[in-house]
Amino acid sequence: MNKGAIEELRNDTSCKHYNVSKKNCKGNEPPGLATFGCAFEGAYFALAPVSDAIHLVHGPMTCVGSTWEFRHVGTTYEGLDKTQMGFTTDIGEMDVIHGGEKKLARAIDYAVDKYHPKGVFVYETCMTALIGDDIDAVCAAAEKHWNIPIIPVHAPGFIGTKNFGERLGLEAAVDHLVGTQEPEYTTPYDINLIGEHNINGEMWLYTPILEEIGIRILSTFSGDGRIDKMRQAHRARLNVVVCAKSSEAICKLMEAKWGIPFISASFYGMREASDAIRRICAQFNDPQLTARAEEIIAREEARVRKALEPYKILLAGRKAVLNTGGNKSWAFAVALQDIGIEVVGVSIRKSNEEDKAKLRSILSPDAVLMEKPVVEQVPLIMNTKADLLLAGGRSLYTAVKKGIPFIEISQEKTGNYCSYSGLINLARDIVSSINNPMFKLIGSEAPWEKKVIELEQCLIKGA
Amino acid sequence: MKTNVIMKNKAVQVYPIKLSQPMGATLAVLGVKGSLALSHGAVGCSSLTKIFFTRHFCDPIAIRTTAVNEVTAIFDGGDGIVKEAIQNFLPRAKPEIIGLFSTGMTSAKGDDLKRIVSAIDYPIVYADTPDFVGGLESGWAKMAAAFIEQVTESPKSIRSDKVLLLPHVSLHPLEVEGVKDLLTGFGFEVYALPDLSESLDGHLGVNQASVCQGGIAMNDIRQLGSAGIVISIGASMLPVAEEFLKKSPHSVHINLPGIMGLQATDALIEQLMHLTGKEPDRRVKHWRKRHQDALIDSHFSIGRKRFILAGEPDRIVDMANCIAEAGGTISALVASTPSKLLERSVAQRTFVGDLEDVEGMIDDCDVLISNYHGERIAHRHGKVQVLRGFPILEQIGVQLKVDTLYDGGTHFLVEVANAIITDHAHRQYH
Repeated sequence: MNKGAIEELRNDTSCKHYNVSKKNCKGNEPPGLATFGCAFEGAYFALAPVSDAIHLVHGPMTCVGSTWEFRHVGTTYEGLDKTQMGFTTDIGEMDVIHGGEKKLARAIDYAVDKYHPKGVFVYETCMTALIGDDIDAVCAAAEKHWNIPIIPVHAPGFIGTKNFGERLGLEAAVDHLVGTQEPEYTTPYDINLIGEHNINGEMWLYTPILEEIGIRILSTFSGDGRIDKMRQAHRARLNVVVCAKSSEAICKLMEAKWGIPFISASFYGMREASDAIRRICAQFNDPQLTARAEEIIAREEARVRKALEPYKILLAGRKAVLNTGGNKSWAFAVALQDIGIEVVGVSIRKSNEEDKAKLRSILSPDAVLMEKPVVEQVPLIMNTKADLLLAGGRSLYTAVKKGIPFIEISQEKTGNYCSYSGLINLARDIVSSINNPMFKLIGSEAPWEKKVIELEQCLIKGA
Repeated sequence: MKTNVIMKNKAVQVYPIKLSQPMGATLAVLGVKGSLALSHGAVGCSSLTKIFFTRHFCDPIAIRTTAVNEVTAIFDGGDGIVKEAIQNFLPRAKPEIIGLFSTGMTSAKGDDLKRIVSAIDYPIVYADTPDFVGGLESGWAKMAAAFIEQVTESPKSIRSDKVLLLPHVSLHPLEVEGVKDLLTGFGFEVYALPDLSESLDGHLGVNQASVCQGGIAMNDIRQLGSAGIVISIGASMLPVAEEFLKKSPHSVHINLPGIMGLQATDALIEQLMHLTGKEPDRRVKHWRKRHQDALIDSHFSIGRKRFILAGEPDRIVDMANCIAEAGGTISALVASTPSKLLERSVAQRTFVGDLEDVEGMIDDCDVLISNYHGERIAHRHGKVQVLRGFPILEQIGVQLKVDTLYDGGTHFLVEVANAIITDHAHRQYH
């Protein structure tokens, strides 16, 4: 089958991005070059932070065997933390031949009976999509029997990229859950956080600030998430999209259905965090709220500036290359500028037109926007003599083994770089990375590679 | 005596420990020098596997994917996209050999790898490894067998001083190196297939993400047929040895169920002495004495404790023997997949199951030996944990660990005993 025909069949001309970039939202991942995750991965990681629901993967072993407990998503849930549990039907040969529906039904029954979740997300995978299991019917029957939401998530891996899967996962949650329960009470300042996974508890670096200002987080999709909270999300006054562009789709759904307006906000970097808080407050049009916000912003900024002083001296004149997805690209660029680092190159592979425009507005004109970071990244670092690469885990060992100091920015990352306090963490981690003497040693010549050996310094002089 | 193996036939795996065939196949490809793994499936199969092993080994993993999407899943039998994938990556990575393997979806829809490969003018070894059958051990073994079947030439003559070593998937890279060194010490020329001892052994190399920089060379695989002796370790490698004997029917095959602990190592040494008429060198002999001393020093702690071991069958049966030698009670073995070897388990109960099964009988043990996923369970129930298996995400240096033969067994007993002693101390002082 020729490439053109494949493209033609995959295009969705009703998609708003189609007319801009002629690309479909599913992502075009060429065979042999694709490095992204799959749609299943996106959906699973988008919803897995819901800690009182069971996440049941209806598929064979690769899907869950290589994903569960790979991300530490913070939760305040006091029961058994289901974000760190793996559930799978482990489809076998017989299920492929006879269908996996009965096994799935038994799996749901077993899991609900034993672990008493508030809901179950059932993830379709390539295999179970291909053999045509009627997951919707199984879920509907189980939902009736157990009287808790049992949500089918149709994001088999082959259908698109991780971003697309994230969108499908969140859409399934909105379709199935939102508006099915009323909150105990509401406030005029209720918001939902959309696309925030609370990796390593990142969300908790800024939610206390919002709460101090007087804004209530009604629901999250889905960091530290709960089924009931998601069901009540329709009563929020505002949806705030935190970082993931793919989650804007569900905001549009919620705007159409419940009239909830939405804004995008990033909490990476001091300027962005302050800007995000201001824009959230502006939506409520309450002078008292705004005044309180300004007070707290001033306090936080002063605190961060003071904490950053010693780092700024150490980081002056340093350059960094940034390879991360979507709107994280500019968000991190701003964060780096905040600590005095010059950003000399940014990957725009996953960025949309809006992200690119924003990048151009904040970067110096010499900065390179990389279309193909796989090939451009390392030469760029060498040419610009950049001191640092910030990228996802896939590039980690390739970079450090070349002697390039590295900061991991991904959903598996170990650092916590969000908001005001996160910026201090970022500065601290960068300083320890670029000043590590190890980088000189790993590039050093072995004794048998040296042309001239200076023995003198090792001579022990007799008395 | 045959152990009764209990199959936990639940409809759902909770806290699963099983891993898939494509993941095993990936690792096997990475044991061949100049190779590149090509996963025929959706992008996730390779990207997740890549992250999984990258985090486990702290090293880049050379793997690519045919990126099957919803259109090519239906309209392309694999012929188009395998070829396209190779054309696409060739400007960036020029492997000597491509290790192509299928995943659940592409196997189920019946993509014929043999036909696909025959139409492509590039060296490719292929194996059918759907993830709805078997597990990590069988995926590794199938890929290894594929290299022998498709690359190894029938020998004109065989040499009694040349050995082919077939290690099971759970042997750490440095353990494979240890066995190779032992065999070399007996005067053999040794080749391991697959051989992770110079690829995923945690060394600083160049361009490790592009193609695999270490492992057995393709030319050596071609000439493996002349190996007069084939030593397979673990039950999972029996089919690979059989494949080899088809190529070289006059070679001698020795299968060892394991190489951990005093008795298992003795058995290997006896075989080697019988084959060569030589004795092991002084260092090996001295390590045996250290191992015996470690048995004495560790028996106070290990001998008074009960253990549950979970993981790949070849590894946990072997490990259980080693612990039992120091008097440890093996309450249960929980294997990821069925295996003939489990019938030889020394455990009081032997299961094929998951970590939920482990948690269900956690009160029967003091020490849990499992992969990283068992940590939370061990902690929740106040048990001592020793990390072994795939994946281990919160420790570094897993590939450097040596638990096998006299020297490794010594270190292993010491590590387990120290974990118990440290835990005991913590309980006293806190």
